[in-house]
Amino acid sequence: MSRPITAVKLVLLGEAAVGKSSLVLRFVSNDFQENKEPTIGAAFLTQRCVIGDQTIKFEIWDTAGQERFASLAPMYYRNAQCALVVYDVTKPASFIKARHWVKELHEQASPNIIIALVGNKCDLVEGEGNEQNRKVAKEEGEQLAQEENLVFFETSAKSGLNVKEVFIALGSKIPSNVQLNIQNDSATSANACNC
Amino acid sequence: MSFFNQLREKASQLSLFDKAEADRKPTRDELFRDEFKLPECETIVDESNAELLIVAVKSDGTSARDQSHDEGPVVYPGKLYLTQHFLVFKDSIDKRSCSLTLNLSTVKKVERIPSKAFIFALSILTSSGTKVLIQFIGIRSKSEEFSQKLKSQLKHNIPNTKKLEPFLRTLYSEFIIRKNEPGVDKSSVKAPEGGLGLLFKFPGDPKKLKDKSKLRLWYDYFRCNGRNLTLSKQKMFQKLIRVGLPNRLRGEMWELTSGAMYLRFQELGTYQRILDSHRDQRSVAIEEIEKDLYRSLPEYSAYQSEDGINRLRRVLTAYSWKNPDLGYCQAMNIVAAALLIFQTEEQAFWTLSILCEKYVPGYYSTTMYGTLLDQKVFEALVEKTMPILWTHISKNDIQLSVVSLPWFLSLFLSSMPLVFAFRIIDIFFLHGPKTLFQVALAILRINGEELLEIDDDGMFISVIKEYFSQLDDSAHPNSPDPKFRQLTKFQELLIVAFKEFSVVTDDMISKERNKHKPAIMKNIENFMKRTQLRNLPRTHHLTQDHLSNIYDRFYESIQSKKMSLGTGKSSMDFETMRQFLSGFCDWILPDDEFKYHDGDFLHRLFRAWDKSGQNELSLTDVVVGLDKLVNRNLMESISNFFGIYDPEGTGEIDREGILQVSEGLLYITKPLQDGKILDQITTNSIESYVADKVLELQTSPDDIVLPSEVNIDKEKFQREQGERYLSAASNFIQRAFEYAQPVEEPMLIDLPSSKDTEKLKANLALDPTHPLTLNVPTFRMVILADESYELLFSKTLADTIHVDRSITVTNKNGVLRDMFDGLIADGRRVASHVRRRMDSTATTSATSVTSGSSRSRTAVVSADEDDDDFDPHADDGDLMDNVELSALGDVPIGGLSDKEAQRGEDLKVLHEQSNYTKDTDQLIEFEH
Repeated sequence: MSRPITAVKLVLLGEAAVGKSSLVLRFVSNDFQENKEPTIGAAFLTQRCVIGDQTIKFEIWDTAGQERFASLAPMYYRNAQCALVVYDVTKPASFIKARHWVKELHEQASPNIIIALVGNKCDLVEGEGNEQNRKVAKEEGEQLAQEENLVFFETSAKSGLNVKEVFIALGSKIPSNVQLNIQNDSATSANACNC
Repeated sequence: MSFFNQLREKASQLSLFDKAEADRKPTRDELFRDEFKLPECETIVDESNAELLIVAVKSDGTSARDQSHDEGPVVYPGKLYLTQHFLVFKDSIDKRSCSLTLNLSTVKKVERIPSKAFIFALSILTSSGTKVLIQFIGIRSKSEEFSQKLKSQLKHNIPNTKKLEPFLRTLYSEFIIRKNEPGVDKSSVKAPEGGLGLLFKFPGDPKKLKDKSKLRLWYDYFRCNGRNLTLSKQKMFQKLIRVGLPNRLRGEMWELTSGAMYLRFQELGTYQRILDSHRDQRSVAIEEIEKDLYRSLPEYSAYQSEDGINRLRRVLTAYSWKNPDLGYCQAMNIVAAALLIFQTEEQAFWTLSILCEKYVPGYYSTTMYGTLLDQKVFEALVEKTMPILWTHISKNDIQLSVVSLPWFLSLFLSSMPLVFAFRIIDIFFLHGPKTLFQVALAILRINGEELLEIDDDGMFISVIKEYFSQLDDSAHPNSPDPKFRQLTKFQELLIVAFKEFSVVTDDMISKERNKHKPAIMKNIENFMKRTQLRNLPRTHHLTQDHLSNIYDRFYESIQSKKMSLGTGKSSMDFETMRQFLSGFCDWILPDDEFKYHDGDFLHRLFRAWDKSGQNELSLTDVVVGLDKLVNRNLMESISNFFGIYDPEGTGEIDREGILQVSEGLLYITKPLQDGKILDQITTNSIESYVADKVLELQTSPDDIVLPSEVNIDKEKFQREQGERYLSAASNFIQRAFEYAQPVEEPMLIDLPSSKDTEKLKANLALDPTHPLTLNVPTFRMVILADESYELLFSKTLADTIHVDRSITVTNKNGVLRDMFDGLIADGRRVASHVRRRMDSTATTSATSVTSGSSRSRTAVVSADEDDDDFDPHADDGDLMDNVELSALGDVPIGGLSDKEAQRGEDLKVLHEQSNYTKDTDQLIEFEH
């Protein structure tokens, strides 16, 4: 049986070494690497995902996190329908950076972009005596998500916690594009009909 | 005298420097240095046409034969150059047949070759056992002059020759020569230190790489043509590099072909010194480096060991200290990790320096402008060389740089299997940045047919990824010709890159770079501005337009024209802050006047704004500070001003503080005292005056006709305003001391109201033996007691800070003078004044204003001015909110020219000045 396939462009943004690439690796290959090479420019991966009666093909743009690469980011988030803004729950600076990214996306990206705020590295704050590693309270994340109308999850790319859930939550929030695709009856690219 | 000369010199350097920002043409010396990869200090001392012959001398004195050359040594015609530390030769046949870069430290002996009278020839024996024979072409006296200069440079260079022996011992080329000398005990020759590959194995299969036979060829080459600091590059040299460098020699050849070796020789020990002098220091760059250390070629075993990680840490850290503007950029970790497989730390450090600064300038800068620029250049070259593919790419909205950017940024190391990336880097260091473009273009050309089939970024990336994974496969697996079948895809890539795309020259690239640079820089600047403005804290009184103006002025003041290059400062010191504010604040005095004031208020303002306590202001500091300063909420504005004098936030200021506050008030109201700007009170009275005049001219009671000109006595209004402000200052002091509370004494509840005791108390208040304090509520009360000061905090002060003035309005020093001619009154308000007067004269009939428009204006011309050359339509915005008058010949008002007097004097002056005012009877008397 053939289901309509919706291609969704998704971009990952966030400070260096918060685990953007690891989230993607977990989602795409259900794998984890302790020391991943930093992403230079951006990496591109795809993953299909069945959500309800839809098959969504995520075209994932995983970007470099270092501050100075920020000027390249518009190149990658243009036309993106979804964004994952990632921070590290043990690094408060990464949360501030996440806030900036959300602002930038709201101002510069496609107006209907769906954004998920993701606090990663939850594994570091779980278990006995590890709670003191946490530097960004869950409530802070929730509050920002509420203010800016974002999907919010705390995840661990290492343990796999909530990783799939983030993508599914994003995928299930794209009704308009689904419409577009059905009308277009094109399984190849949602981008093409968006721009 | 010499001081002025120095100044002048500095000034001229400065303008040169500024010019460098524009597209300055490189000097001949710069081009020369670039071509031969020589250090910055080298310049051409002399040059001559010459013929050159290089022969190898065996240890027994006979000439060795270069087995790689069948025809034996060749004589090359060309040009000879002498610099401070080098003798350089370039052939004139095709500029590629023979070039020699001989460090003077390697010169053992120079002899004149006996010859016929008109021929002048030298023989130079080098430390590597080669003999360079030079026959000069040209006038003999010139040739002799050259040789004299050579002699003198050699003499100067003698101190450096001591460094040569230990330096040579660090080089693998010397090692293979020494080890293979006849009759030498091979085990006694110690190999020099090298890269991690010596300990952890080099990537790739050494057999397949044929390293042994390659090394033999290099051995021959080195023996006959010189090596390292005596190297002559002949055609064979380029060929040997193109087939891939042997792993053990690779590190040295990278540093030699890039010129890093010359730097290392010149700066022996600098690497270690940088590390030592920054031991245990922290920086943002170091934090960023630490994040990436374990993420640099992690699959290579050395980088799973502490030794490897530590070397990488030290090289990256040392470079971040050497070039703090750049610091560290992701991708440098991968490049440095690759260098360290083949090079020692010191070699890698210098190679990395040359790479970042010469080969790929701006790639790793904080704005990465070089990366963005070269992506644009790459796109332009694709369009030029492969128009069909380019049309396809643009039609499908595929962003080429998402694929190609990592190629350039990490020199293919993160895209291709390492062994192939190393081969490209071999050629890259020899031929420069054009290599990256040639290879990148070839990749697209080879995959062109497949790429024409795809229609999105994702498919584009997969095609290329697939291709990179097959580089070792045959390019023509089905060819009947075994030679063709043997050709790998990587070999094919090199052939296409360097044959087909040999049209891509350095010149072409630099032309394209110049063409696209302005647009790229503009983009970066806009992006940075947008980002920085977005990330500023929320302001309550400054609008986005104001912030944009402040941003422009901020960066102009700190002279970060190089901001887009990522090398500018991002904070200002006190002096810069003063310059910055002078651009749009009326009360900042010009430089020369400033010297006579201690600038206490500004210093306090600076400290109040400096949230980090680092003695410098960031853009955020400035914005937050200005936002407070332009606050028009009366109560808040008064408290903010108080806060400047109460940095600890105690809520109180002492006697000294009160005096300083009064000075501060004097300082910021200076232009009002001088009548250079007018406040609302003065404006109102001018309008009243104009209204009176209009009324006199009024003929019909129905229509108010605004005349185009009314003559007023400008000086009179200025004088009145000046007196008003001086009286305000005087009253402030008086009242502040009157209401300040004595310390340690309970509040006086019963205030005897006799005039004598008032006086006594006032005197007591000034008595330093009786400390007293002024708190915020009292301060507020004292301010509110004066109409001018009340208005100052609710309006006038904010009006004097022109955050709405964009940077394109030039106003250095001329701020006040420029604006004085067209004092323009708001017609509507004048009309309403007139109407009020008419009403009060009991005119009952309705009136209307003929000028109709709500913003009609009447130009006011001062009576004492002959020159009525003003433009009534000048775009002065809301001038009425902020009428500004001229300095009018800088007529000093009252005792203000004595401002340089010390504080006590000031008070006295003030006091005397106040005598002119009506409030004289309220004045206190005091003596010192």
